[in-house]
Amino acid sequence: MIERSTRRQFLDRSCRLLGFVTIGGTAGLLARRAGANSVYQVDPNKCTSCDLCRTSCVLSLSAVKAVNDFAKCGYCMLCPAYMDVTSMPDERGIPTGRVCPQDALKRRVVGVEDKDDPNNNYYEYAIDEARCDGCGKCVKACLPPAGNGSLRLEIRYDRCVECNECAIQLACPDRAIIRLDLPGVAPESHHLGLSQ
Amino acid sequence: MEPTNPYETPQLSLRERFFKSWFPPAAVVGGVVTLVAAALRVRPEPRAQVAVPAAPGGAPAPPPGAEVPLERTYTLVATIGGQALSAFRESLLDVAVDSSDQVLALGDGHVRVFTAGGEPVRQWRAGDGAECLTVGPDGRVYVGGAGRVDVFESGGRPAGGFAFGDSAKPPSVSAIAVHEPDILVADATARIIRRFDAAGRQRNLIGDQGKTKTFMLPNGRLDVDVDAAGVVRATDTGRHQVTSWALDGTPIARFGKFGMQDPADFVGCCNPINVAATPDGKVVTSEKMVARVKVFEPDGRLLAVIGTEHFDPMCTQIHLAVDSKGRILAADPVRRRIQVFTPGAPGRPREVPS
Repeated sequence: MIERSTRRQFLDRSCRLLGFVTIGGTAGLLARRAGANSVYQVDPNKCTSCDLCRTSCVLSLSAVKAVNDFAKCGYCMLCPAYMDVTSMPDERGIPTGRVCPQDALKRRVVGVEDKDDPNNNYYEYAIDEARCDGCGKCVKACLPPAGNGSLRLEIRYDRCVECNECAIQLACPDRAIIRLDLPGVAPESHHLGLSQ
Repeated sequence: MEPTNPYETPQLSLRERFFKSWFPPAAVVGGVVTLVAAALRVRPEPRAQVAVPAAPGGAPAPPPGAEVPLERTYTLVATIGGQALSAFRESLLDVAVDSSDQVLALGDGHVRVFTAGGEPVRQWRAGDGAECLTVGPDGRVYVGGAGRVDVFESGGRPAGGFAFGDSAKPPSVSAIAVHEPDILVADATARIIRRFDAAGRQRNLIGDQGKTKTFMLPNGRLDVDVDAAGVVRATDTGRHQVTSWALDGTPIARFGKFGMQDPADFVGCCNPINVAATPDGKVVTSEKMVARVKVFEPDGRLLAVIGTEHFDPMCTQIHLAVDSKGRILAADPVRRRIQVFTPGAPGRPREVPS
């Protein structure tokens, strides 16, 4: 004679099964994520330099830094990301204000400097990462049509602490923080800066 | 001791009566009047218009705050492209005008010919990598691309061409101009203008003077045009100047400077971005960042401004051409349309910033 289970027994077994599946699935996902060679990174096509990278990161000085793509940079004398072009000009007509509030964007003359006429010089712009807080003001100012769009924000792997849930990703209104696969790179090397 | 009557009005001196009865309401009324006046911010009378007469060899610098009349206005009279059937679907790279005022445009990989009124006439396929075009006085069409110039008959039949530079890494040709028999090619890679003869032999360079021996081009674009007298105009964007040269490369003049206030100045990192010459010797420029077109005397005196309302603010170039009637054709590559502006009545005054 077949013993039929009661409704209470059926619900009890179903709930147990669902619980096991949930716990197992979560454990599997976490294990897979822990072993994956992926990192958080900023998608420059989505990023709007909204300043939340500076304020949302769990680090006191954000792991997000501005970087300059030298291949796209125009090496301008009047770089709109370096100079506040709307500020008061000096006696030579060069704006005196700076865009970066941290003075993290540095420049140096490429080649021999013409001190008489700075318009004859090209300048290389680089980020002082010890100062940069990832506010993105320079990135915004460099966007076309004002600039060439050579500056962008980037999460520096040697600074990122790889939170389980990236605080910037949670805060980002543009969903610009993505997981980026790094094939062939061991996860430990991210923290050593070896992946760059 | 005589008891005091609480209902009796005390006898006050004039000073006490002023401070106890008149002063408080007067102070309140005065404060309200001051606040209302501050809120309304009564503006001073506008400054009177000051006309600065033009002097031969260059106009005197107007005093700060003075208003200088713009001598010309331009009115939008036609649009080619945009929402019309002749729309450029993917790209609009350059515009030119031939001697009969037909409009030629480079877009969607084709050379397209329109009447002066904007009606499509014909089109033919341009070479791969075509970036710019111009028309010679004989109607032949010159299309510049990566390290080469292709020549077409006015009907579109190929009529030769030539290549230059390193074929493995061809230079970027950002503009081309013709003053027969010379072909002027703006080599944006070398930041120089190359003058070729009709056979494609290089005769000389233009712009290799000065300390840098090249134009300063942070944005990698060099534009060139030549007028009927053979005066070459080129943009020196990093220096915020329009330069004039003889065909043999002798520098003639330059004007322009950086500035965000005076409309006669050029804004941003690298402007003016495009240049064209009018039949009566004026210079037309276009700018990015503040997308606008301006008309200058050859000495740099500002004559007219065609405002930002006509162009997409994301324009990084506004290609220019001028027809025989002085109409300015401005090609907006973002909205993919050519706008035709015709000279009109005397302009409104502009104010020189303090």
